[in-house]
Amino acid sequence: MKKKVMAIALASVMAASLAACGGGGGGSTTTAAAAPAETKAETTAAPAADSKVDSGEAAPSGEGGSLVYWSMWEATEPQGQAIQEAVDQFTADTGIAVDLQFKGRTGIREGLQPALDAGTNIDLFDEDIDRVNTTWGQYLMDLEELAKAEDYEATANAGLMAACREVGGGTLKSIPYQPNVFAFFYNQAIFDEAGITEAPKTWAELDAACAKIKEAGYTPITCDDAYIVCMFGYHMCRLVGEPKTEEIVKGGLWDEAAVMTTAEAYADFAAKGYFSDTIASNVWPAGQNQELAMGTAAMYLNGSWLPNEVKDMAGDDFVWGCFSYPEVEGGTDGTDAANYGAQVLAINKDSKNAENAFKLICYITKGEFDKRLSELSIGIPADSTNSEWPELIACVKPVMDSMNTRYPWAAGAEANADMTPIIKENFLSLCGGSIDAQGFVDALKKAGN
Amino acid sequence: MKRNKGMIIAFLAPAVSIFAIVFLYPIIRTIIMSFFKIDGITDPVSKWQFTGLANFIKLANTSLFRTSMWNLFRIWLIGGVIVMSLALLFAVIITSGIRLKSFFRAVIYLPNIVSAVALATMWLQYVYSPKFGLLKTVFSKLGLTALSKVQWLDNDHKFMALLLAYCFGMVGYHMLIFASGIERISSDYFEAATLDGADKLNQFRYITMPLLKGVFRTNITMWSVTSVGFFVWSQLFSTVTADTQTITPMVYMYMQIFGAGNSVTERNSGLGAAIGVLLSVCVVAIFWLCNHLLRDDDLEF
Repeated sequence: MKKKVMAIALASVMAASLAACGGGGGGSTTTAAAAPAETKAETTAAPAADSKVDSGEAAPSGEGGSLVYWSMWEATEPQGQAIQEAVDQFTADTGIAVDLQFKGRTGIREGLQPALDAGTNIDLFDEDIDRVNTTWGQYLMDLEELAKAEDYEATANAGLMAACREVGGGTLKSIPYQPNVFAFFYNQAIFDEAGITEAPKTWAELDAACAKIKEAGYTPITCDDAYIVCMFGYHMCRLVGEPKTEEIVKGGLWDEAAVMTTAEAYADFAAKGYFSDTIASNVWPAGQNQELAMGTAAMYLNGSWLPNEVKDMAGDDFVWGCFSYPEVEGGTDGTDAANYGAQVLAINKDSKNAENAFKLICYITKGEFDKRLSELSIGIPADSTNSEWPELIACVKPVMDSMNTRYPWAAGAEANADMTPIIKENFLSLCGGSIDAQGFVDALKKAGN
Repeated sequence: MKRNKGMIIAFLAPAVSIFAIVFLYPIIRTIIMSFFKIDGITDPVSKWQFTGLANFIKLANTSLFRTSMWNLFRIWLIGGVIVMSLALLFAVIITSGIRLKSFFRAVIYLPNIVSAVALATMWLQYVYSPKFGLLKTVFSKLGLTALSKVQWLDNDHKFMALLLAYCFGMVGYHMLIFASGIERISSDYFEAATLDGADKLNQFRYITMPLLKGVFRTNITMWSVTSVGFFVWSQLFSTVTADTQTITPMVYMYMQIFGAGNSVTERNSGLGAAIGVLLSVCVVAIFWLCNHLLRDDDLEF
């Protein structure tokens, strides 16, 4: 009997510790999934364990003005390579050693806060604008003074600096780099063949364009499970604005007319056959790789990282076009609103080397290395004097320049983690045609109970 | 005697203290955390807000979490039946003296060596692809047009698609455990049974099965523990954001602790801890049941 008690006790200990470990570090279970968005995603095959890459002559952290920098990239990614080059140059010019550690998406997401709480010496780190300013807001140093001293804003993107201040609670706590914007990307060749001369600005124009594309024998719109909620979010925001959309999603206000209107608009498109036949079962990256890049589908609502992600599949002759999510009839928001943002660099409020850290930020986000980053990752430059964008994404410039209102990720539609999966799969079914608008709304209501 | 006591303490102390720090402390902390609202997982205790049973009540009232528990149960039960039967079947075949035994054993075990990411990509982007997938090709070659048009990754089929892909990789591991259990049984029993005129089926029914009870228990416990930690496959089958067909409690826990998808969502490590506690209770219950239902202490061989 004693033995049995012991056995049960031991088993419970084992199980509980397993659960405890799971809670403490999901990353230790080698969280690994290919990341949809180079710039946005969180589930890259990234070992949570330190994938430490020292920049050669890194001095013991904190001593002699040396810096410790935790980055969200992998050393092998274009972004990681460009940052490494900037850091090397910084060290060569200033003699300040930098301990640059590439943590990867999951590594930094799971590991940064515990490390900061434990008092690890980290001078600067980078991640997505919203996560840095919201989730890690309490660890950030106010950068207003440092930015003023360096006259940082003379050549910075004003819109993005404003966005950083907005999410930083009115003051500058992070510096943007590698900007991105979330909009419709399309295959110019298909548009030309279908005889579409101008990118759609309204829902009716999009409808007309889709009809022409369908007639030309192509799939007008495709998407993947990873991004489908963004379509729902954008349409809702065009109708009632972002704060209201978030309110509906968080509060489960599925009776609001906008939800039905959105569902009806998409049900209408589904009925007209505008969506890919396989949209309901497209697991990322099936839609973007097998349909859009292969030239069978014309449009995809995605971030400006898309051309880079599919460039090897799409080929050199693929000409990209870009337009902001169209306006809808009777809606509040225009095409000047979108989810745009950037990765940001921030300085630990406890850093003793803030000035040097800010200098390093300038190296990465200005001039030569900003340009290098933009070239390597086919991304948007952050420095306003780097006016030449990589050719693949030149089409994004007018869209980015036209932005006035900023939405968060998925235009607020993913603000309620308990509802995202339900919105996602029902919207997939709606676009796939297996449920109608009423069915979509009913499913959301049912899940909210 | 006194000296002896000192020695006992001296030798036990390192193990006990490490056990206490590495196992006991996290368990107790996790249990305590489950009664609090905690934003960041490493927030100091002063920031914790006591909420009593609120975390558990919230879990019970969240349809997504209930779905995740239901999925876990389905994975455990349906997957368990599939994996255990296939593993046992293969183990019996492999230990029956067939030729190329080690080759087949290696082939069946192979998926365990390949990374889950690679395996899942193969299943998602190739086997289940509605454009050029293996299933589509095979079914259309066989003239089964209706089946060839099925979208295996849509909402109606995704769970089974996930389960099948997962089981494919798990059979080899449990087969090895079964095979080692069967090999442990002395061949004398089988020889004697053969002389007495028992056929293979009866030998399996009356010799192999009873003597494998302990191995069954091991396998079921191992299966339960790995099922409870079901995470990677779920993540791979629903990139970035979870969906109701693939979500498991571990994925839900991750969402609560580190935020869901690309959005900045509300975090509550206390809720995550509560999920951990619930899962532990499940595993203990299964272990207890196995111990009671599959006693093997009445047989010695």
